[in-house]
Amino acid sequence: MTSQTSYKPKLLWLQSITCNGNTHSFLNHPDLASILSHFELVYHPVLETPFDIEEMARGELECDILILEGSFREEGFTRGRVEVSKILEAYAKKAKHIISAGTCATFGGIFKEYDPENISGFCFNVEERTERYEMYASKLISLPGCPIHPKWLSYVLLMMLKDKHIPIDELHRPQELYGITVHTGCARNEYFEWKIDTKGFGLKEGCLFYEQGCQGPYTRGSCNKILWNDTSSKTIVGTPCFGCTEPSFPKTALFSTKTNMGIPATMPLGVPRRAYLTATGIAKSFKIKRLEERIITYDS
Amino acid sequence: MIVRELIEKIEGEAELDFTFNEGKIEDVRISFAFYRGIEEILVGKDARDALVITPRVCGICNHAHLIAAVKTIENGYENAGLKVELSNKAKAIREFTLSCELMQNHMTWFYMTILPQLEKLLGEASGENHALKASYFSSTITKAMSIFAGQWPHSSYAVPGGVTCDPTYVDVMQAENLVDESIRFYEEMVIGMPIDKYLEIDSNAFLYDLDGDLARVLQLIGMNEMADIGQSHDRFIAFGDSTLFKAGKSMKTRVYSVDANYVEESVQQGTVAKAVTYKHKLYEVGPLARAMVSKEPMVKRLHKCYKDSILTRVFARVHEVALLLSHSKELLQNLRLDEPSCSLGKELIVPDFEGVGAVEAARGSLIHKTTVKEGLIENYEIIVPTQWNLSHGDDRENGIAIEAMVGSSSTEEATFIFRTFDVCSVCTAQ
Repeated sequence: MTSQTSYKPKLLWLQSITCNGNTHSFLNHPDLASILSHFELVYHPVLETPFDIEEMARGELECDILILEGSFREEGFTRGRVEVSKILEAYAKKAKHIISAGTCATFGGIFKEYDPENISGFCFNVEERTERYEMYASKLISLPGCPIHPKWLSYVLLMMLKDKHIPIDELHRPQELYGITVHTGCARNEYFEWKIDTKGFGLKEGCLFYEQGCQGPYTRGSCNKILWNDTSSKTIVGTPCFGCTEPSFPKTALFSTKTNMGIPATMPLGVPRRAYLTATGIAKSFKIKRLEERIITYDS
Repeated sequence: MIVRELIEKIEGEAELDFTFNEGKIEDVRISFAFYRGIEEILVGKDARDALVITPRVCGICNHAHLIAAVKTIENGYENAGLKVELSNKAKAIREFTLSCELMQNHMTWFYMTILPQLEKLLGEASGENHALKASYFSSTITKAMSIFAGQWPHSSYAVPGGVTCDPTYVDVMQAENLVDESIRFYEEMVIGMPIDKYLEIDSNAFLYDLDGDLARVLQLIGMNEMADIGQSHDRFIAFGDSTLFKAGKSMKTRVYSVDANYVEESVQQGTVAKAVTYKHKLYEVGPLARAMVSKEPMVKRLHKCYKDSILTRVFARVHEVALLLSHSKELLQNLRLDEPSCSLGKELIVPDFEGVGAVEAARGSLIHKTTVKEGLIENYEIIVPTQWNLSHGDDRENGIAIEAMVGSSSTEEATFIFRTFDVCSVCTAQ
């Protein structure tokens, strides 16, 4: 469309109760300059913008795409001396698209735990729909993650720019990003296949699912397909996945796996327990020597 | 007369109430409005969950929180009688990743806060998009860090006894390349000369030889008679010990030893931020404090002329990037991959302990303290750098940043002085 080349959609980034992690994650996008060149940034919490926070808080700016960061409460949290719930309403009505960026804005996240009765996500309170859902569902895209992956956000922004349809699931997460699990593409998959657990932290060998608390097999997200900082991921560097894209984030005892009779209590997404046990039984009945050994030995 | 200003783009916002008397600022009240309760959220959780939860205090210094949290647990284990010995490899990798975070922060602050705000204050717009320079440097150096830490922001790769990564030389070489690229950027854009030559400079006359964006900032400050403004109590403190930064406090020309147990927090009226003192005295923390405590020659020489003014403070932060870049390169070059990444076994759990951990975060000393009973957190305290610099002070003297702003004749200038402390709102109101 020719009109798109001349008109730049107006982007407004509104923060609520947050650590700014989504903001900084996005600022580290390697293609930030070219992405931002397609939009007119009317307000952003860190970048220079033509309007200041008090002008933004009046709710009178134009806004095509509203990006929300942080969890919400109806009263008691202000930006530019105005309740965020008020600012939000003004821009959510105007915007053609709303993106809840990060787990806090989407489901409530970590900050919800301080006051669970009053703090929630924008359209979801954990998995439950909030009152706002009906009003804004038609324009909502959920991008959970603590923090958001910069390329997940740029994908959504560019799809909106080009007026392309984004297939979503029931929690409004794009299927292209959340249709797979963090386990997909994990560099340790071979160890998972053969049920070989790692012998401890700090080793490139072994799977983290059995003892180290890895939630990769049942956490939706593309961390091991679209790598972090263009280079790595938690599980690649031996850190368990903590399920930070899920409505349940954060669970507790994050560095150990809850088990029943030695079997992980939570099954890989969609895998019946019986199927898992059968596959495990078969895999475990063989000893694969190569996978029990260290990959590299350095002479000291 | 009281003038109220809302300061934004400081990782959130703060209210500053300036009291003017005969055209000069006489007093400033700083307040942060919202408390997020991270310390309370941690209570009742597994001790190691602090490694995941505390980074979420702050999107820009999350990694420092991780390192403080792991040091706190390790200190607790030691207090409970378990020896925790980290391999040199684990220590070096932790130091490298933390250095990367400091560098991204400093360059982000320099290009997204100091340069544009100074240009605005002086009406000297260059028309350049400084933010994109910041983003380029930041994405390069955080990529280097993520090779070991998995991601930035919000990695949890440091665990009691070491780190979770088990790098190969393929990783180390990629990281070295990225550090080299960061050095190239710093030389070309920031200082306008090779870093080795820069670090050999031995007189203040260097200010005239510098080129690049640092020179532009220093010249703008100097030419507009701002070099002496923003002086405070000239007392500095640093707690985090590393191979680059020493712990200690600096007063007048001497440096004394410090003990984190003498750090005290107290509630302040009208703000959710708590005040912090060391033996009932206020100290400045941050890159300037680190340089003064470590007796960094270039900063010391500048300090001799300009004391703890904005010129010295701004220079110290940008200069620290040069030190960190060359230090990071050395860390990677000396990395021995045959050493273990983590020295504690997975079966090991110490159920009861009390621990303290301090690190030098981008903005200064960050301290975590915890009490753990039966494996669960009973109490968790987080003392962040900005609390030191923004404490209100008492009857005897003003807080550090307040003292720096007092005497200024405009809110615009005072606000710029305030920003030279690299204020972090989210940390301060955790």
